[in-house]
Amino acid sequence: MMATALPSILTILPELVLATGALFLILTGAFQGTRSINLVNGAAFAILVVAAIATVFQTSETQTAFNGSFVVDDFARFMKVVTLLGAAATLALAIDEMSRQLQKPFELAILVLLSSLGMLLMISANDLIALYLGLELSSLALYVLAAIDRHNAKASEAGLKYFVLGALSSGMLLYGASLIYGFTGTVSFAGIAAAVKGGSGPGLMFGLVFLLAGLAFKISAVPFHMWTPDVYEGAPTPVTAYFAATNKIAAMALTTRVLIQAFGTDAAEWRQILVFISIASMGLGAFAAIGQRNIKRLMAYSSISHVGYALVGLSAGTQDGVNGVLVYMAIYMAMTVGTFGCIVAMRTKDGSVETIDDLSGLARSQPAFAFVLMVLMFSLAGVPPLAGFWAKWYVFSAAVDAGLVPLAVIGFLTSVVGAYYYLRIVRVMYFDDGPARFVPLSGVLRAVLAVCGIVVILFGLLPSPIVMAAGAAAKSLF
Amino acid sequence: MTIGLTHYLTVAAILFTLGVFGIFLNRKNIILIMMCVELILLAVNINLVAFSAFRGDILGQVYALLILTVAAAEAAIGLAILVVYYRNRGTIAVEDVNMMRG
Amino acid sequence: MVNDLLSAYLPLAIFIGVAVVIGLALLISPFLIAYQQPDPEKLSAYECGFNAFDDARMTFDVRYYLVALLFIIFDLEVAFLFPWAVTFGALGWFGFWSMMIFLGVLTIGFIYEWKKGALEWD
Repeated sequence: MMATALPSILTILPELVLATGALFLILTGAFQGTRSINLVNGAAFAILVVAAIATVFQTSETQTAFNGSFVVDDFARFMKVVTLLGAAATLALAIDEMSRQLQKPFELAILVLLSSLGMLLMISANDLIALYLGLELSSLALYVLAAIDRHNAKASEAGLKYFVLGALSSGMLLYGASLIYGFTGTVSFAGIAAAVKGGSGPGLMFGLVFLLAGLAFKISAVPFHMWTPDVYEGAPTPVTAYFAATNKIAAMALTTRVLIQAFGTDAAEWRQILVFISIASMGLGAFAAIGQRNIKRLMAYSSISHVGYALVGLSAGTQDGVNGVLVYMAIYMAMTVGTFGCIVAMRTKDGSVETIDDLSGLARSQPAFAFVLMVLMFSLAGVPPLAGFWAKWYVFSAAVDAGLVPLAVIGFLTSVVGAYYYLRIVRVMYFDDGPARFVPLSGVLRAVLAVCGIVVILFGLLPSPIVMAAGAAAKSLF
Repeated sequence: MTIGLTHYLTVAAILFTLGVFGIFLNRKNIILIMMCVELILLAVNINLVAFSAFRGDILGQVYALLILTVAAAEAAIGLAILVVYYRNRGTIAVEDVNMMRG
Repeated sequence: MVNDLLSAYLPLAIFIGVAVVIGLALLISPFLIAYQQPDPEKLSAYECGFNAFDDARMTFDVRYYLVALLFIIFDLEVAFLFPWAVTFGALGWFGFWSMMIFLGVLTIGFIYEWKKGALEWD
């Protein structure tokens, strides 16, 4: 019979905190209504932070729960901390934005908690069923989050597009999962790895391709990226930040675990697919962003290209490569949260604006704001010695070590092209004239921007702490 | 002729292909797209149950049961978003979903 | 093997046969014995003696949608209860409390929709 022991509370403590917290806040919100909005928002932020702290203090031994379908190792802990910090920071942005809106839905914070719970399950998934359940738990909450601004036609269109393409991608992922289950006879990653060792037939290859297609949707890699610009533009800005800073990281963690732990013995089969996806993402992200005027849309293409760079590390398939992916995603989270914090701060007296030209003359009217945004843009472009440079350096060097020199060269060339549009924003801020438009930043925004700016600069000068943690995390996967 | 695993897989593959093509070729109505998504999920369920029966392994059926329930929640959320969209735009035609481009 | 199968399902086969015979008999007999007198009124929509107010294929009220959505979720989540009930003896306390937690989460969802007024028609 199935194991009937209760899982150790400590193994699932962060998830337990999120789940019970979310349920408790739903009841609070349902009984208190909008009066409780500040309580719910504050409590949700505290719950995310507590869950992150609980994850940090979990033992570094690999533990499993629920009959092996849920695994906690250093890799999972690293990605969970990054995801939870990203979620907490973007929730702070959302609370700040909400304070200026007439509509104050308390459901937003709860949906953030529930989708974060889904992401933690994704990161810890150790079989195909847990993979699907975690993915759906996070996706279903994200569909609603995209359309949470109910009276905004653009937001509801973004929600609808995200839902249709997301549902299609889950369908493809499931079809792949069903084929993998059928041809290996097991759903657990370890079992699949054992079955793949003897060589994989065409049926299994089909399964892997469909599974990868579904995952590529979730990390928004080319050729499954088409929802990204529309959803990023249409959704409310803090929600977009949440999509970019957390969901992508969790989906990347899931992809890494599936490829390394379940199909690691068969790396030659998926490497060429991954190299193709990576090159296409880097290329499209760099060239399609050039003509964009809307900064949220530009960030969508930027995020596509960054997924491409992270996949360079994963294509290597080595421990160094995974190390690079982890470092990349952690730094990407900090840069994305900071940049979206700047976009949230682009508020005039009449409301939010989001075209690049609105930034003109910012260096004169709000020099500190302009400086942080400049640092973030330089970091996104990969200018040394900022954090973004080291992120690229680790993935490219892993690719070179694995013999993928052409891939690293293409990555370098596209990042030069990409630097053009990041630097254009800096030029608009510093060299174009414009009136002072934006209202002063709120305290929450100042704090988020300051932390992100400091992380990006400090990590550039002193990369070892994150690299050490990522190294231990990557080691636990092999 | 006995009905073997291959036949079930073929039916599922045909249903899956119909669903995917239905999503991309349909130019009329978003409800139809949601029906196509359901068709894809049902194709997956046929796959899983067929594999489960032929391998004598119960996990495939557990998986199928979970997919059924999650698909219900997914359909409910999709229809709810569709209602919100309809209230804002007054139409659910596919060609009208074009406020953002580029 | 084949005989076993047939004998196991024999009552069902007889039932289907009887159902088909009776159904066909009721369907065909009016054509043979009914007194026929065509009249356009017989084909028109009937609504308690009035003329029909509007097309019967009218759109549903969107509020009905909401009830249907809420129904489909709770309806399908109950699907987990059947395998749980069948194997309940073997699952022990772990299985019992797992299901209780699941039902508790569903109840919280139900309380939420009740409090939000999703179950009220007006």
